[in-house]
Amino acid sequence: MSTEPTGFLYPFIEAEERDGAALVADLAHSARSKMADSRALRAATLDRCGDAIELAGTAMAACFAAGGRLLAFGNGGSATDADGTVDLFRHPPQGRPLPALSLVDDQAVLTALSNDVGFELVFSRQVIAHGQAGDIAVGFSTSGDSVNMLRAFEEASGRGLLTVGLCGYEGAAMAVSDAVQHCLVVRSESVHRIQEAQDALMLELWSTVQRHLAARGSP
Amino acid sequence: MMAVVETSRATRLEEGPAADLAVASLALARRFATGATMWCVAPQWPSHGRHVAVEFVHPVIVGTRALPAVSVDAADAAAAVRLAARPGDILLAVSSADDVCAADLLTRAGAWGLTSLWLGAGSRPSGSPADHVVWLEGVEPAVASRSGDLVLLYHLLWELTHVVFEHPGLLAPEPECTDEVCVTCADEGRVAEVSAVHPDGRVDVVVAGRREAIDASLVTPVAPGDLLLVHAGVAITTLRGAGS
Repeated sequence: MSTEPTGFLYPFIEAEERDGAALVADLAHSARSKMADSRALRAATLDRCGDAIELAGTAMAACFAAGGRLLAFGNGGSATDADGTVDLFRHPPQGRPLPALSLVDDQAVLTALSNDVGFELVFSRQVIAHGQAGDIAVGFSTSGDSVNMLRAFEEASGRGLLTVGLCGYEGAAMAVSDAVQHCLVVRSESVHRIQEAQDALMLELWSTVQRHLAARGSP
Repeated sequence: MMAVVETSRATRLEEGPAADLAVASLALARRFATGATMWCVAPQWPSHGRHVAVEFVHPVIVGTRALPAVSVDAADAAAAVRLAARPGDILLAVSSADDVCAADLLTRAGAWGLTSLWLGAGSRPSGSPADHVVWLEGVEPAVASRSGDLVLLYHLLWELTHVVFEHPGLLAPEPECTDEVCVTCADEGRVAEVSAVHPDGRVDVVVAGRREAIDASLVTPVAPGDLLLVHAGVAITTLRGAGS
C-alpha cells in the first residue's frame, strides 16, 4: 500500500463499478490493509526509537520527580493528541497521576494571542507565561515544520525546560532544531499513519516515565 | 508496565472492525450526500470527539471535500443535538461499551431520526442501540484510546467515506421501508422521546424525527426527555437510561 498522501485513491476501485456489495468488500479489504500498515509502522517506530524513548522518558521522569510539569501543544489533530496526552498523564490507566497542562484547550487564550500577536506565537507566549526551568514542553507536529511549534520549542529551551518533539516525514525543521532536545520521528508520509504512530510513541514515553518514577519510590 | 503495542494481537485487530467499517462508511457517505451533519461525542475522551470532527471538516488531503462534522461536549450533548440536529443527520459516539452517556445518546438518536454509529474498544456492547457498531475487541479501552488504535478506527472511517464519494452511483440512499406490516416499523416498539406533557394528560413525543401525540396512560407519569417504547401510538414501557 502506498504511503503517499494521495494513497487513499484506491487504484483497485474501478470508476464504472456500481455494485454496492463489491464496493463494501473492497473497502473492507482496504481497511485490513491499512490497519496492518498502521500496526507495522507503530511497531517499527517503537523499535527504532527504543533508545530515544528511554532517554527522553528518563529525563521526563527526572523532571517530574523534581516537581516539574508537562506542557503539551500541537495544531489541529495534533492539538487533540496534546489534549489526550495531558489526560493520559493526569488520569493514567495505572501508575501515578502527574501534573500536565494543555496549551490548546482555552479558547480565550488561543484567540487572544492569535488576534493580538499572531498565530505563530500562540504557544511560545504561553510557554513564557507557564513554563519554568525543570518543566517539560511536549509538542506534536506531523510535518515538523509548524512555525508556532518551533517558536515554542525555542522559548522553552531558552527557559530551561526539557523539550520533547514528535513529528513525521523526515522530521523536517524540528528534527534539526537545537531547541528540540528529544525529537522522535515517525518515518512515514501519511498524516494519518504518523498520528497513529505518535500516539503509540507517547504512550510508550508515558509508560517509561511511570516505570522510572516507580523505581524511584514514593514522590 | 503494560506492553504498549503488541504485534501478537494483529489478526484480531484487522479482522474485527474491517467489515463493519466498510458498511458504516457506505452509510455515512450516503447520509453526507443528502446534506447530513455528523455530531461527534466522546464522553470519556473529549479529545477524540474533536479529532474525528476536524478530520471531516478540514481533510488532511488537499482537494478532498470538507464535510460537516461537529464535536459536542458530553455534558450538553443531548440538549445540543436535540435542538440542532435534523432528521437524517448522523450521531457518532466514541467510547467504551460501559459508557452510559454514549449509550443514552445513541438510544435518543433513534428517536431523533439520526443514523447512529458507535465506535470503540474493549468488550463489545451487547444489545447496542446504534445502527452501526465498529469495535476493537481484545484491548483495554484506556490503552486503545492512547495507543493509536482508536484514532486509526476513525481515520479509516474518514478515508473509506471519501472512497465512497468516488462512486456517485452508489450514493443513493437505501430504499426506505414503506410496508404497512413491516416488522421494524409497525409490529415492534419504536423508541420515542417525550417532548411535551399537556395538562390534560396528552403526551407528545418525537419518533424517528417526527413529532406525534401518543397515549401514555400505561406509563404515566412521564416528563420531557423521558424515553418510551411506543407501539401503535401507545407507550408500552419506559426506557430507563440506556445501559440499565
